[in-house]
Amino acid sequence: MNIDLTDEAQEYGRTAERAIEAAGGDALVQRAEADPARRGDAAAVLGELGAWDLDPLGSDDELEAAAALCRAAGRWAVPYPVAERLSRPGDLHVDGLVVVAGPAPEAPLAGLDLRWATIDLDGRCGMATPRPLSVPARKAAFVTGLDLEPLDEGGSPAAVALGLVLGCWTLLGMLDRAMELTRAYVVERHQFGQPLSRFQGVQFQLTDAEVERAGVEELAGYALWSIEGQRPDAVEDALALRLAAVEAAEVVFRTCHQLHGAIGFCDETALSWLSRYSQPLRRLPLGAAATRDELSRRLGRRPLAGLFDGTGAGW
Amino acid sequence: MEHDLGDDVAQLRTELRRLVADHVPPDFLGAFTDDPADLEVAQRFCRVLAEQGLLCAAWPEEFGGRGASPWAQTAVREEMWAFHEPRGAQYMGVNWVGPTIMRHGTPDQQRRHLPPIARGEVIWCQGFSEPDAGSDLASLQTSARRDGDEWRISGQKIWTSYATMAQWCFLLARTSKAERKQHGLTIFLLPMDTPGIEVRPIACMMGPHHLNEVFFDDVRATDADVLGEVGDGWRVVQEVLSFERVGIARYARVDRLLQWAPIALGEQWDALPEELRGRWARMLTHCRRARLLAYRVVALQSTGQVRPTDAAAYRIAVTRLDQESAEVLMDIVGAAALSSDDGRRFRRAVEDHHRYAVAATVSSGSIEMQRILMARSLLAAS
Repeated sequence: MNIDLTDEAQEYGRTAERAIEAAGGDALVQRAEADPARRGDAAAVLGELGAWDLDPLGSDDELEAAAALCRAAGRWAVPYPVAERLSRPGDLHVDGLVVVAGPAPEAPLAGLDLRWATIDLDGRCGMATPRPLSVPARKAAFVTGLDLEPLDEGGSPAAVALGLVLGCWTLLGMLDRAMELTRAYVVERHQFGQPLSRFQGVQFQLTDAEVERAGVEELAGYALWSIEGQRPDAVEDALALRLAAVEAAEVVFRTCHQLHGAIGFCDETALSWLSRYSQPLRRLPLGAAATRDELSRRLGRRPLAGLFDGTGAGW
Repeated sequence: MEHDLGDDVAQLRTELRRLVADHVPPDFLGAFTDDPADLEVAQRFCRVLAEQGLLCAAWPEEFGGRGASPWAQTAVREEMWAFHEPRGAQYMGVNWVGPTIMRHGTPDQQRRHLPPIARGEVIWCQGFSEPDAGSDLASLQTSARRDGDEWRISGQKIWTSYATMAQWCFLLARTSKAERKQHGLTIFLLPMDTPGIEVRPIACMMGPHHLNEVFFDDVRATDADVLGEVGDGWRVVQEVLSFERVGIARYARVDRLLQWAPIALGEQWDALPEELRGRWARMLTHCRRARLLAYRVVALQSTGQVRPTDAAAYRIAVTRLDQESAEVLMDIVGAAALSSDDGRRFRRAVEDHHRYAVAATVSSGSIEMQRILMARSLLAAS
């Protein structure tokens, strides 16, 4: 039983976090929004760390390194499709892969001169051409419609699972940071002559949000292990993680905004940027309700693997 | 990463399920029902477990255990809770009274108390809560005053599970007034047949034996009955509560019931509203989440670490899971005609789960207390 990323993967994540900070940290997303041509600034930094040489489905170590990298990118709301780049399939001449769903697929891929493949939840692949942004990045968070061209080749369930899971690791990084910012804020901010953190109403909201965040962290590890072990349920495990992650994000961001008060809406706080740039991760390829329905549809009568799947449950 | 608990634990699980199948009737819903036969099932089953060294698997061999790993201990907790705790009230002695006596008891107390617990022969109750000291336990008023070489104990405890059947009480009483209410508390290990102890059952929705009042009227105790140092009871109780917080694998019963649902409903499963099947899938996710949060606590404890945040996060998640899953399962049961034997058993198990889940966020430290503990730890880390 080992429920943590390898020490090497954790160290890689910390290195990436420091490198992103040195390259601008929170300013990266602010610069990219003001000048979308700068979206790729973070790519160069991560490239120097060997990010684009990782083959997550090639080895467990590289998969865990990719997860740690996505979490680090999430902490800074890096305005670049890191998880999608890391999900690149080895057998197609593309720069990245994005999981899509629904009749009008979208992804935060606008403004990058890269080749993209897509995969839907049933493993059907395509090539994607992102349309130019029709609204400012500030409103779209670089999400744009995709023109798809189907491919004959089908993708593996592992590729679907990887795309979903790395996105959740990115979202986890955002939740980590939002909680840290909020903890610090309620300790520093005084009202009625005492820190906000002294009020039980504040404490309880914070703890409930932290339970949600901590749960995502554990499920993210489980889903990663499911891919590593090439388990047949890897996609269902990824959807279970996604369901918990998008639900947690709703609680965490609602709580963090509430406890920050008006300052949390202001762009001088990192929370405002994290909150807005978490949206694509929370809505695409499926929002909370659609993720739940998809998980339920795929499970049918067969539950998620648990303590009593198979025999011996005593009924 | 590795989320498999390993072959040894899988083998242990198989062994436990075989014993349950052989010794526990399929419609068993716990030892404390209106049917006295259920209590006998539990008492017999404890002796069977004890003979196999499984009742106290995690205890050191010198005290009657197997020296099993924390993960094996986790599997025992999961299997027992999933099958409606066929150890009956014994889990209390096994999970925390015994381990606490190992850490703080004198050699005489260890010799006297540990072997009967390991053999499944004795039931303990916990004399903590009082009418005016629930979550604020340190405000308790039950007093133990010096009388020559002895102690005289007077006061009232409440919500005391299994007091009607217990042979021993793990009692917390005030032995001196101190500036801080946490000081001056002492633990006594008292036989329940000591003159002056009276137990009055409280009827409740969980069934008989779960809740009682216990009155102490000038009850005599000796220094040999004191566990640890006089006045040091609060520190010991904090340890006890930390054992108790991870002691019940509530998610295991939820897991079993959720997995059972499509089997019990058979063809009717597909006729359930899609929204309800979606809620079922969501509960499966929450169940896995609670299990993994429990494993985080076990992983930390197995390396000697205790992080209050993790234990409290698990408790908050698992108690909410208990209640939310109970609502979903009751809706599933309500939407189906369950006329087969298996269907009827499932319905009864769900109904039992729902009644029991009501108390999940109250017993063994309310969810509010967990939030307070967690907030203290979270904010200290800022």
